[in-house]
Amino acid sequence: MDPRRNRDLTMPAGKVLGVVLIALVFAALFNSEAIVRAGEGMEQGTTRDVVLSVGRPLDDVAGTIGFHLPREGLDLAFGQEDKTASGTELEEGSTAILKRRRRQAREEKEEPTFRQPGPGRPLEVLVTGDSEADFLGQRLTDQSPPGLLQVETVARNATGLTNPAFFNWELNAQQEVDARDPDAVVMAIGGNDGFNVESGGNLYGPHDPEWETEFARRVAVVAGVLSGDGERPVYWVPPPTARDPEFNEIYKTQNRAVEKAEAAVPGLRYVDVYSTLGKGKYSDDLKIDGQKVLARQPDGVHFTRDGAVAPVRLILREMARDFPALEKDSGP
Amino acid sequence: MRAVSFPTIEFAAFFVVVFILSWAFMPHPRAWRPFILVASYVFYGWVDWRWVLLLIASSVVNTVAARVIARSPSQIARKRALIVAIVFDLGLLCTFKYLGFFVSEVDDFLDSLGLGSPLPLVQIVLPIGISFFTFQAISYVVDVYRGETRAASLMDVAILQAFFPHLVAGPIVRANELLPQLRTPRDPRQVLAGPGLFLVAGGLVKKTVVADELARRVVDPVYSDPSAHSGGEILLAFYAFAAQIYCDFSGYTDMAIGIALLLGFQLPQNFNRPYMALSLQEFWRRWHMTLSRWLRDYLYIPLGGNRDGPRRTYRNLMITMLLGGLWHGASFTFVIWGGIHGGALSVERWAREHYPRFRMPTWAAWFVTFNVVCVAWVFFRAPNLDIAFQVLGGLGLSGPSPLVTLPMVFLVLAAIGVQALPSGWWRQGEAWIVARPVAAQGVAFGLVILIADAAVGQQGVAPFIYFQF
Repeated sequence: MDPRRNRDLTMPAGKVLGVVLIALVFAALFNSEAIVRAGEGMEQGTTRDVVLSVGRPLDDVAGTIGFHLPREGLDLAFGQEDKTASGTELEEGSTAILKRRRRQAREEKEEPTFRQPGPGRPLEVLVTGDSEADFLGQRLTDQSPPGLLQVETVARNATGLTNPAFFNWELNAQQEVDARDPDAVVMAIGGNDGFNVESGGNLYGPHDPEWETEFARRVAVVAGVLSGDGERPVYWVPPPTARDPEFNEIYKTQNRAVEKAEAAVPGLRYVDVYSTLGKGKYSDDLKIDGQKVLARQPDGVHFTRDGAVAPVRLILREMARDFPALEKDSGP
Repeated sequence: MRAVSFPTIEFAAFFVVVFILSWAFMPHPRAWRPFILVASYVFYGWVDWRWVLLLIASSVVNTVAARVIARSPSQIARKRALIVAIVFDLGLLCTFKYLGFFVSEVDDFLDSLGLGSPLPLVQIVLPIGISFFTFQAISYVVDVYRGETRAASLMDVAILQAFFPHLVAGPIVRANELLPQLRTPRDPRQVLAGPGLFLVAGGLVKKTVVADELARRVVDPVYSDPSAHSGGEILLAFYAFAAQIYCDFSGYTDMAIGIALLLGFQLPQNFNRPYMALSLQEFWRRWHMTLSRWLRDYLYIPLGGNRDGPRRTYRNLMITMLLGGLWHGASFTFVIWGGIHGGALSVERWAREHYPRFRMPTWAAWFVTFNVVCVAWVFFRAPNLDIAFQVLGGLGLSGPSPLVTLPMVFLVLAAIGVQALPSGWWRQGEAWIVARPVAAQGVAFGLVILIADAAVGQQGVAPFIYFQF
């Protein structure tokens, strides 16, 4: 660049710092809700504490002055739906839901039959959840019998059930089923659920027995919304085994919790990937159709595209119990 | 991966601290160099500190090799040092990037011979930016060998490789572009704020408003299941990915170059309105320019370039583009992407040599070039060959097209059309912005951040496409 021509483009570093700081303060004031939400979504630690300790008071002030309005207008313009809410059952409900639904299901004795797929009328399946839903959705599309399933995948990366202040799955589940009205739902979630949960005014960690019960309750709440109280089946896929022993333990707990919720919620089906694949032992590879494939991504949790074949077969097997036409052929 | 991405709260805080301290230390090079190196290592090691060890190892090996090359009077010793450095750099790249693929393919082959699957499949975490910093390391030692740059101190080489604005996804900087700047303190009264702020703001909008929107609403749904979409939707996704990858990648490098400018350093340009190219040759002079020139200077020309007749030239073009494809990852889709570009470049060269007087109308040359690039992008984006052929085969299908909406069509047209604007307009815009009061500039920049954050919504900024390479 010619230095003479550049002169009209330069500024002293102090002024540049002024521009940057004004921009960040302006954006923070008008975006305080997003800062709090971003903080809520961070892993426990100093960064999260700092972001929330700055963001929350800022959000209170900005909300009082009315600085949320421009952002709300922009959200509307970009078609963004709010994914957080206060006072939902997911946050504040009671564990009685686990018993109540079970009793109801028992009284009804049998569950309703679901609309069966037919020629020209494929089953509309919503595959949703966290990032694990991505490859499962793609593979379900690949492996589904021709013309019988129409799969739509909506992955909400980095979300889970233990942090509704960041992303409220009860609210999101309602929005998803209202918008799509699917015939069946596959829900793959849990990889991001290592947070402490609050229940009855107490805080429990993933290794506390109360955590498992609270998690089961949250599964029941979200599954109830997704299934429309039993109108459609929900195939819930908790995380598989993990390479990291600590995560592995949390995922094991989650699997037990989903099994517990299954007994309570009409339409909820627990897909046990955890103890079925590799007989409950973690391995990077899996033998599929006699061939060894690299089944897991480098993080030791997510399936690879090749590895996703195995859990999808389990999902299709479970689906075939509700939709016998799927039993004839479950693809490659 | 979020922490090393520019559009995050963590990076905003990191940048403010680094900006203040960098300009405070700038008059004292002895303090500034270790400071910027540590800051860059903090940036890189935020996700996994072990990656920093890899970076340090690369800097040490290449510094030692370059010193041997520079000081040894023996040509044999110089050549050996060069070979050792290149083998080390490529070894690092191959281990992390291609070993898993290689083992898996050999295992499949042995299995097909009835020998079972004896090899343990390995899953290796790919350190972010490894392709970029190894290419930079190779260019440094080769340039020293060729006498195009002087051997530098370990500190300078480490900064050259690790300087955080370009570390993760380029631009691929050559030693003689950055080292002289490191040797002269930057003037804090003359910060190129106009282009710097403009590039950061523009890059942010390109990424969040265009690239992520197109990915979420059109490209990802179509490429996840082309058979569930009509020809209209597939056609939109065909062009939308061209717009997405341009806005994603050039958005990142715009931010990288802008951030470096605010710190007082100039990085090389990486994109120059690539979709205005009238030939594939011109496209590669405008797209990922620092990779193109790397491939030209360190692969195509050493292979013989166009010096040994047409056949050798075509072969060299093909080899260069195929390896360029493989640089992106061990997959047949990338090989085909490289093959399409290599083949098209060869055809262009052949046509120029055999029909030197033939001139295609400008609009036709643009149309053909752009569409060849878009066809190649299908293989680049598709997760496998089956999906790629489904996309290409589905272009003519009829059916309802709910994904084809006015805002999405507008975004595609805007991302491509904006490249036709005269470059002088941008310069005028930069000068205009810098002439405004500081508060007005701050509010304008803050508004851009607000809009960008609203565009991505609660799902957050998607990882940049080139982070995976």
